[in-house]
Amino acid sequence: MNPDKIDTSREAAGAEAPQGGTAPATAGSPGGEQPASPPAPAKRQVELRGLSAYYGDHQAVKHVGLYFAATDVTAIIGPSGCGKSTMVRCVNRMHEEIPGARAEGEVLLDGGDLYGPDVDVVAVRRAVGMVFQKPNPFPTMSIFDNVASGLRFTGTARGEVDDRVRKALSEAGLWEEVKDRLGKPGLGLSGGQQQRLCIARALAVDPEVLLMDEPCSALDPVATLRIEELIGELKQRVTIVIVTHNMQQAARVADTTAFMLGGELVEVAPTDKVFTNPDDERTEQYVTGKFG
Amino acid sequence: METRVQYQEELEQLEASALGGLDLVSAALSRTLEAIEHQDVELAQIVVADDDRIDGRYLEVHQALITLLATQSPVATDLRLISALLHVLKNVERMGDQCVNICKLIPLSGNEPPSDEEMVKLILAMGAQTKTLISQAKRAFADRDVELARDLVRQDDVVDDLNRDCFRLALEIGDDADRREWAMTMLLAARAIERIGDNSVDIGEQVSFVVTGLFQEFEDASHPSA
Repeated sequence: MNPDKIDTSREAAGAEAPQGGTAPATAGSPGGEQPASPPAPAKRQVELRGLSAYYGDHQAVKHVGLYFAATDVTAIIGPSGCGKSTMVRCVNRMHEEIPGARAEGEVLLDGGDLYGPDVDVVAVRRAVGMVFQKPNPFPTMSIFDNVASGLRFTGTARGEVDDRVRKALSEAGLWEEVKDRLGKPGLGLSGGQQQRLCIARALAVDPEVLLMDEPCSALDPVATLRIEELIGELKQRVTIVIVTHNMQQAARVADTTAFMLGGELVEVAPTDKVFTNPDDERTEQYVTGKFG
Repeated sequence: METRVQYQEELEQLEASALGGLDLVSAALSRTLEAIEHQDVELAQIVVADDDRIDGRYLEVHQALITLLATQSPVATDLRLISALLHVLKNVERMGDQCVNICKLIPLSGNEPPSDEEMVKLILAMGAQTKTLISQAKRAFADRDVELARDLVRQDDVVDDLNRDCFRLALEIGDDADRREWAMTMLLAARAIERIGDNSVDIGEQVSFVVTGLFQEFEDASHPSA
């Protein structure tokens, strides 16, 4: 992302301390106050401060403070309607696209507030990619054009597009399967391949963060495993936040797991702790299947 | 949610079955002590044969717990409970084996062994104390009572002291070869009872794990504090 587009000048006045399993920014700063002269924020790290989201009068996300570490996969779990999807949609400012919806608080990427006054929303969405529940390749486009579509908007030189498409498809683990039919429609691929095509499309514009909202819920177990392996490979390059109903999936892929309930962040901790010895009784009840 | 309710009930039943294994062990130990007291070879043979029941309990509950792991993906407290129950079962099975070990020794000393009354008394006292440990371990687990579980260490010290007394008695048993042989056999029995006490303390450590999520050895045999 172009740093000029991100306003880094805003103070975190009154913002809630973010929670996070491995957050260097919060460690040693009791009360959640920022250190007087913060070190340069690590690349690709995301911080939510006092984030609230509304649909009209209904508050779906309530003052959430959370930290997504750069090389970690963070899973967001919680029952339907707990605000987990809404919360991640605030990270790339998609939430505000819904009529009557708005968000309050701060979402910081590399220390810059994505909700700052001069921020270009298009730049935000390029820096923060998203993959949805149902694979949604552009139906009229070929495999190649699906991946290249984002590049056209970023002014990528024509000669560079081929390389970028190939790189993105390779990163998404799809290149070998599609290299001989790049001109064929994206919809001709299997469900799992379509989802990896969508991941390639998101990766092509070189995002810093990848949000995945139930990326495997429409896939069979083999395609699911393929995506989960891919997540493990991609986390070296992009910060990954995955919303999932499947707790076993969270346990398999995530380094950190956050549990939400009724719009509030209940607990965030290293994944093994959440699934062996959670601190909060509500987390315990949810992960053991006693409600939700 | 119906299947989840069923799963919870099943887990509760399996806990009851695993802990019920301790009652089987306690009964086996009672008979073992009686066999020692009266040099009852037949009763000893019954204990050996009856160990199949303890092994059967082990296999049955162990398999059911593995099935729950495979089908219900338990996490958090449920996962810790299942892990702890697997430990409990292993200890139950070993305690049963110790009773068998003792009972296999009894015929070796013959029909009219040159026994020493004081040593038999010590071994019976060890056995009685160990039975207290077994029932206390069971209660601590069922009630998730960490304090009661920790108290097992103190109770076990009594068994250890009696075991040392046995050893001293054996040293002073005299020059008669038959008597010395009998005393050696009884020392092996005392040692087996002492191990049953240790198994009870191990079960107590699992109580602490279920409750706190952290495994703590109540006593570290390889790094004793004193």
